[in-house]
Amino acid sequence: MTNRLQQLAYRLLGLLLLLALWQLAGKRHLGGKTLPAFTDVASVFTVNFRRALLLRSAIATSTSAGLGLLLGATLGCLTALTAQLLPALSPGLNRLAVVVNALPSIALGPVLIITAGRQATPILLAAIPVFFLLYVAATSGLHSADSRLTQLFTATGATRFQRLRYLDTPSAIPALLSGLKLGVTTAMIGAVVGEWFGAPTGLGIVILNTMQNFQIPLMWAAVLVVATISLTAYGLIGVLERSVERRRA
Amino acid sequence: MATIQLTNVSKEFRLARDKRVLALSAMDLTIAEGEFIALLGPSGCGKSTILHLVAGLDEPSTGTVLVDGLPPKDLQAKQQLGIAFQEHALLPWRTVEANLELPFQIAGRTPDRAHIAGLIELVGLKGFETARPSQLSGGMRQRASIARALCLDPKLLLLDEPFGALDAVTRRFMNLELQRIWQQKRITTILVTHTVEEAIFLADRVLVMSGRPGRILREVTVPFPRPRTVETMRLEAFHHLVDNLTLSLEPSD
Repeated sequence: MTNRLQQLAYRLLGLLLLLALWQLAGKRHLGGKTLPAFTDVASVFTVNFRRALLLRSAIATSTSAGLGLLLGATLGCLTALTAQLLPALSPGLNRLAVVVNALPSIALGPVLIITAGRQATPILLAAIPVFFLLYVAATSGLHSADSRLTQLFTATGATRFQRLRYLDTPSAIPALLSGLKLGVTTAMIGAVVGEWFGAPTGLGIVILNTMQNFQIPLMWAAVLVVATISLTAYGLIGVLERSVERRRA
Repeated sequence: MATIQLTNVSKEFRLARDKRVLALSAMDLTIAEGEFIALLGPSGCGKSTILHLVAGLDEPSTGTVLVDGLPPKDLQAKQQLGIAFQEHALLPWRTVEANLELPFQIAGRTPDRAHIAGLIELVGLKGFETARPSQLSGGMRQRASIARALCLDPKLLLLDEPFGALDAVTRRFMNLELQRIWQQKRITTILVTHTVEEAIFLADRVLVMSGRPGRILREVTVPFPRPRTVETMRLEAFHHLVDNLTLSLEPSD
């Protein structure tokens, strides 16, 4: 218990140190005019209409990232399941996943705007890297079952589908959660980048507009909101991951 | 119950392009219905290979393996094989009860709750039905995996060093327990072990194996009547047999 308290104290101390350095750098103008002090950024949140703008944008971006995460994760898992059930397809699907991952989202953005539209682009740009991450995580997870258990299933006459259902899929859950944990931050990046190509609302749009209008504290506030959402989601999945690990240890 | 017939069985494993190792050489073995056989030998002597061949987890390089006159794959498909390994063969995310439901699910049958409860009681795990493997001791996990092996009333029970990871005291206790369970079921059983006392205490017949290539050095019919007890283990004749078999396990070069 003291160990965990100590850890928490260290984390808080680190955060405070970072904020103090930021504050110092801002007040002394060490980063030029584009790095305001932390208090200047924080004061953005005290202005009602600014707070409302940030909240509205945060909901839009989170929705895009969330839908992208869902879409990418579902497709990634389904593809991995297909590869597991039909091993002959596995090399081809591996190559497809690598190709999809090799497409740079910046280059893909304008194409998506034209083909899929402004609303869908952030979702798709969030979904693509998540698809790859979850495909890799699910594939390795589905192969992670203990060899004794695999032998037990063979010796007791389990079909391929029964093995997938009762052994491989439950064995893959820790790997899936790790993939999902990395996926949430990736999905946030994808959603923000997707919004830059002209989404109607969102934190990406706020960041872009404030940069062009030199509203530096508001820009930093939007960046801070993006980071907070990412880290919170990352932390929540981490908690889930640890509770699954504890149940199985 | 099942009879097992190995005829001229050999098994070769390929390690590298031109490096092979002969794990079993020209093995002939007949196991009668309801017989308890112990395969005793040093690690790497091919005793687990025999078990894998009988379980249909591996194919022999030459010769035939027949269970009741049929290839082991048939026994697999009919879910008539009970198998328990040294460790870690329970699904870690399932409770004891749910682990015992697995054989039923694989067989496509509704889990027989009364039967499962009976088996849990038989192996002495009453009260731990809802515990997960991580909450059980090593001995309790082995009890659970033996109970699972017995779930579908198999014709053949294969035990691959089931108590190998346990301490000496727990192991002896589990030997007594296994004998008690086996006496109620009388299933044809093959036990792989490297512990001489365990082999003599449990088996009707002990086959002593030598390694590389694996073959049967000696075959000993155990003379002690059942049920064998802690007193049996204290008999002079028991110790004598243990010493005798231990000697034949020692490398003679």
